[in-house]
Amino acid sequence: MQKLLEELKVKIIETLNFEDITPDNIDEEDQLVGGELGIDSIDILELVMMIEKDYSVKIDNQELGAKVFANLKALAGYIYEKSPEI
Amino acid sequence: MTSVRIYIAGIGLISPLGSGLSETRDSIRKGKTGIRPVSLFPVAQSRPLPVGEVRGLFETGGIPRTHQLALIAAREAMSHFGDAPDAVVMGVTTGGMLSTEGHLKRGDQAPGLFKYHSTGSVAEYIAGEFKCKGPAITISTACSSGATAIKVALEMLRAGQAGKVLVGGADSLCRLTYYGFNSLQLIDPEGARPLDINRRGMTVSEGAAMLLLVASPKAPDNAIAEILGVGLSCDAYHPASPHPEGAGALSAMQAAIKDADISFTDIDYINLHGTGTIDNDLSEARALNVLFGDRKPLLSSIKGASGHPLAAAGAIDSAICAMSISDKLVPGNTGCDIPDPELGLNPVKKPFEAGIQTVLSNSFGFGGNNASVVIGSPEGRGRAVSLEKPPWLAVMGSACITGAGNADKTVESISKGRTCKGMLSNREISLDLPVRTVRRLKRLPRMALSLATAAHENSGLSDMPSSIFFGTGWGGLSETYDFLSRLFESDERFASPTDFIGSVHNAPAGQIAIQFKSTGPNITTTGGDYSFEQSLFVASLLAKNIEDTMLVIGADESHEVLSGLFDRSVLTDRTLSNGGGALCLKRAEKSSGLRIFPSFFENSENNPPVISSLISKLGDQERINEEYGAILVGIPGAHREKGQKQLDEFLYLSGFRGPIIDYRTFTGEFASASAVAAVLALRFVQTGEIPEGLYGKKSFHLKGKGMLAVGLGNFVTAIEVINL
Repeated sequence: MQKLLEELKVKIIETLNFEDITPDNIDEEDQLVGGELGIDSIDILELVMMIEKDYSVKIDNQELGAKVFANLKALAGYIYEKSPEI
Repeated sequence: MTSVRIYIAGIGLISPLGSGLSETRDSIRKGKTGIRPVSLFPVAQSRPLPVGEVRGLFETGGIPRTHQLALIAAREAMSHFGDAPDAVVMGVTTGGMLSTEGHLKRGDQAPGLFKYHSTGSVAEYIAGEFKCKGPAITISTACSSGATAIKVALEMLRAGQAGKVLVGGADSLCRLTYYGFNSLQLIDPEGARPLDINRRGMTVSEGAAMLLLVASPKAPDNAIAEILGVGLSCDAYHPASPHPEGAGALSAMQAAIKDADISFTDIDYINLHGTGTIDNDLSEARALNVLFGDRKPLLSSIKGASGHPLAAAGAIDSAICAMSISDKLVPGNTGCDIPDPELGLNPVKKPFEAGIQTVLSNSFGFGGNNASVVIGSPEGRGRAVSLEKPPWLAVMGSACITGAGNADKTVESISKGRTCKGMLSNREISLDLPVRTVRRLKRLPRMALSLATAAHENSGLSDMPSSIFFGTGWGGLSETYDFLSRLFESDERFASPTDFIGSVHNAPAGQIAIQFKSTGPNITTTGGDYSFEQSLFVASLLAKNIEDTMLVIGADESHEVLSGLFDRSVLTDRTLSNGGGALCLKRAEKSSGLRIFPSFFENSENNPPVISSLISKLGDQERINEEYGAILVGIPGAHREKGQKQLDEFLYLSGFRGPIIDYRTFTGEFASASAVAAVLALRFVQTGEIPEGLYGKKSFHLKGKGMLAVGLGNFVTAIEVINL
């Protein structure tokens, strides 16, 4: 789980092109959307694609999305639970 | 002063609701829907999404689907008219994309295949078919393109620059929009249900509508309706989501009502943008509730039946509104069973007959680009306006980017006898912009934002520009390429929402609006090598109603794969080059200062006297030699021979004796090179001299004269720059 969390931090930085932060700057308890990082709905959809591609986990409706993307911990937990690749 | 009203004298349309006015009327009267699972191209999903597809249309002779749709609509609109229109204005966002996708997917890169790729090629194709000698302008403001095109045509007629304009919008379905909107989770798998409590999104669709607009003191015999006014605004809020309170929608509707010189209580029916997405319908409803309160007129969205035909939407909706007035037919809001109580709207559920006099049609798009059109009965009170020439524009600031760097570096480079060809890195382009601001932006939006920021800084003005006019020949090529590459590499399983939003031609102008909080008109023109000229032309048409600062920008990125395929001029130079220019302008009111005016724009096809027409527009031999110290000439590489002949003819007929500077020889080949030329002309006129290296070994003194920037090739354009 910890490994997945660290891996997701790197992937978020890469996918969303955050040039000015490192994995250490992302707190897994902080809210993802509308938090310090300035992540919005388009970023979330970009992450949805990355998660489907890299972990074969689909997040295809807004209600589920709101729950899963509450913070990094929730996201990692969902992927951990659903991914056939972990 | 002559006073005119602007009538709709001809209408043509094609959509999933039918081909032609008669079939469309029949479909609307019977409440038919044109939405079915996609069959135009094979898709990866096990359950193809519903779309609005026009049936019975096949690609012939390499003419893409969008162009065919536009031609069908244009023929119907022009069926009672023998004469060529004075201008063509079209809203287009996909252009030849469907054909391009097919070629790229197959890896087919034969020259000539991409001739009709550009959005601008649709208006040029229509202009060619109807032998139009005037401008062919292309508006790409995403889903409001068709309605915004009507605004441009309206102002062209009100300015007396044309007597009749063929205006409309066209877009065909393509993979980019099908998968793009799906990547944003904006598609309702059940088909669009605008305003319904269970709505889950839109249905992507296609079609075209063309209107022949005629300026006349009184209604011509064939008048179907009258365009009373059009209002534009920009949300300046988000690249793809509407303002949650509908602030932009509200101000577009208010501007339209003001332009039409009516009261909101005069409106009998509203044709909603009503796409069926949760956010759009909510935002539009909030704006309607503020504007109309409990006095809302009849209202409905046709998109539950037709789907959303993107750039064609505003034109199709306007055509249907004109028909609702002339045929006394109010369309029903197909797809809405139980209106969402949160919206506070009570749409017309079934079509019915009623005499309506005045209608409002809404179109909103990505980039927060909003347009509302007010159409009235030709027998109504009407909207008479005095013909008024567009004003000159005072230049408050300017900036450019070339392969050499910013404006100072560009001038320095050419004054040393070097070129400014080549491309800066993305990092160099956006050096002065915060990394967070540009994190999602690829090459073109970074360039546009840098140019806008630099031109505004150069102006020294503290107030922010309210209106943005952006010209680009090819739009965000990096985003388009990356979107399609990822789509095809993943067997159409993965589509990037960020790249989709960025691939829309007006995305850079939307970014500028967000940065500067520019909530006024926000127009992107995409007319190939003349895109910057088109944006300056459109800015001058709208300037009479813009008190604040305007930004006029032209920019293009070069892409190592796509530029050579799309732009044949690029292949004529070994160095890949790109860049652009930006001007910070105000309506010229003072009697002194630096000013600019787009004085000429004509199609050179089917127009043998185009050069003598240019000369008579500029005055005569004597005036040209007295007013202009030097001329910057732009000849796109692909049209070198034609352009050289035009230049020879110009020199012969004008007897011009000053320096002629062939600027593409040092800027390199890219569609918006003319924006760089305009900035150079301004700098030279301001300093009063052309630096050494550019014209002979010594600097050339302009002796207080101005300069001309002339564009040659398939169109002939002239921009005058003077310092009073």
